[in-house]
Amino acid sequence: MAEVSEPEPRNENPVLWVARPMATAARQFAKSLFRPSTIVYPYERLEDPRFRDRLEVASGKPFGVGHVWDNYRGVHALNIATCISCNLCAFSCPDICIEMVTVPGGDPKHPKKCPEIDYGKCSYCGFCSDACPEGCLTMTTRYELSTPKRSDMVYSPQKLYDVFRSKLPMNPIRLARPENEDAILLDPPLCIGCNACARDCPTECITMLDVPKPEAKPGEKLPKRIWKEPVINDSDCVRCGTCISVCPKECLFWGTRK
Amino acid sequence: MSNLTLYSVSFDLVDAVLSAIGSVLPAPLNAWITNADLITGLAVLVFAALLLAASMLNTIMLIWWERKLLGRFMDRRGAMHVGYAGLLQNFADGFKLFRKTTVRPREADPLGFVSGPTAYMVTSMILFGVLPISSGWNSGALPLSLLLALAIFSFAPLFIFVSAWSSNNKYSLMGGMRSAAQMIAYEVPLLLAVVAVVIVSGSFDLTTIVYEQQNYWFWGPLFVALLVFVAGMLAEMERIPFDLPEAEAELVEGWNTEYGGMLFAFFMLADYLRALIGSILVVLLFLGGWTMPTWVPSVATSFPLAGIFWFMLKTYLVFAVFIWIRASLPRVRTDQLLRVGWNRMIPLSLLSVFLAAALVTVKCLPVFGCVPSPGI
Repeated sequence: MAEVSEPEPRNENPVLWVARPMATAARQFAKSLFRPSTIVYPYERLEDPRFRDRLEVASGKPFGVGHVWDNYRGVHALNIATCISCNLCAFSCPDICIEMVTVPGGDPKHPKKCPEIDYGKCSYCGFCSDACPEGCLTMTTRYELSTPKRSDMVYSPQKLYDVFRSKLPMNPIRLARPENEDAILLDPPLCIGCNACARDCPTECITMLDVPKPEAKPGEKLPKRIWKEPVINDSDCVRCGTCISVCPKECLFWGTRK
Repeated sequence: MSNLTLYSVSFDLVDAVLSAIGSVLPAPLNAWITNADLITGLAVLVFAALLLAASMLNTIMLIWWERKLLGRFMDRRGAMHVGYAGLLQNFADGFKLFRKTTVRPREADPLGFVSGPTAYMVTSMILFGVLPISSGWNSGALPLSLLLALAIFSFAPLFIFVSAWSSNNKYSLMGGMRSAAQMIAYEVPLLLAVVAVVIVSGSFDLTTIVYEQQNYWFWGPLFVALLVFVAGMLAEMERIPFDLPEAEAELVEGWNTEYGGMLFAFFMLADYLRALIGSILVVLLFLGGWTMPTWVPSVATSFPLAGIFWFMLKTYLVFAVFIWIRASLPRVRTDQLLRVGWNRMIPLSLLSVFLAAALVTVKCLPVFGCVPSPGI
């Protein structure tokens, strides 16, 4: 089938074929003569205050905390002072990019461990800062990570602390504690009283209390265990879950205390 | 100040340098160094070198000007990083091209492949010796300088075709064919538009044409000729919307597909040299060259090198119009281009010749306005 092309409309003045696009181009030129849309990135940034109106236009929201930039998930900021070495960030990391490394200072018997993040693996999901019970690991708006060396992508706790000290806008959503504060419960028959939970609790809120050794009924063999059980002080507990993870018998679990 | 010319500057320069050298040399060498013939010959060489340097500098600045303006037309900024506002970007690009190896295809003809771009650029550069930049700054009044300039200007299709054919590439050949057809089609209306200027000014000498425009610039009375000339120049410079010979969407890069390195830089430079020459010709023929109207205060026209300043300003503004056209219009088809060239442009240019003759006959040129003004 032969294609039938429609005849061009000939009622328009051919001068307009040239004049109309040229007028459009001139209008565009006048608009962008003093302020083109381009932001010269290394020298200017979108988060500079003078581009505030553009951000409002782009997002349709007013510029303010938590609306456009402050919920950005960039490089983490770590406040070493408030970190309780609870390991939750490393547990929650889906990319296994967080390793707890010893930081100087603290008790030599119980060295303080803080997260070291490998940004070569990190997917910026923010689970770690969600999980952080103390709000000491948050995400900032910093997004510039280019380095010539792969090893520079691994941020030590000290480097993350430097990010914290640079006073970048923190992510307020990540700073909030999770709302469903569950308690850590004990399944008593499983416990062997090994003291691992009390030993590793970062806030030392677990006390091992004696439990009475039951009388052995005839024909029944008592389990070999230490007759102690952890009691968790809920007001001091930060729900980090370290005790659950270290428990060799998996007798600690999340639950709601009645 | 008015006696200062490019030649006198270079002559004085060579004279001073050779006298200084001669003063420290012993007797027989002394006389040979300060010989008048030697000074004159070297002065001519220095003159040519200065002219060449100025033209190349302006060509590279023209590329910068195009990149920046085109950026603004497209709501961006153009080159920004090298030098202030990207002023040195094109020098960096030039050095890069200079360092690159020129790869010649095995089946290409060596002679044509190398001599084509070289001749293309050399013929474009020769033109700067012909065009007067300001009063006294040209190499000498040639009675037929306009004709000579246009004759050299129209060499280009031959060299483009030679380099395209010797590339032994079908896209190059197609581009070269298109280039030749387009340039020949638009050469005729271009020359006819120039005839209108020649009728009004009564001279083929570019300097005389400029001095004839002291009272009124020719763009008013010869507006049709200006339109035809600008359209023809766009086709001659192979700029959008008439860039069919290197239509990168259809022919890879047109007639310079096979070229790389310095030979590509030759083509690129020659393209912008021709663009500069086209803008200069528009200024010389229609916009009064280096002269300014009388209502301009004399402060603006009497400072040193004022003629060159206003001339270059006009040239860059004319080129800005070419960039504006490039930013606005899409590329036309080959048949449309040739149809417009032969069916529309030639009648329009004949009309402009007729109008010019009528204007001269009834002596109504001063109606357009223009108050007498002293030349700069």
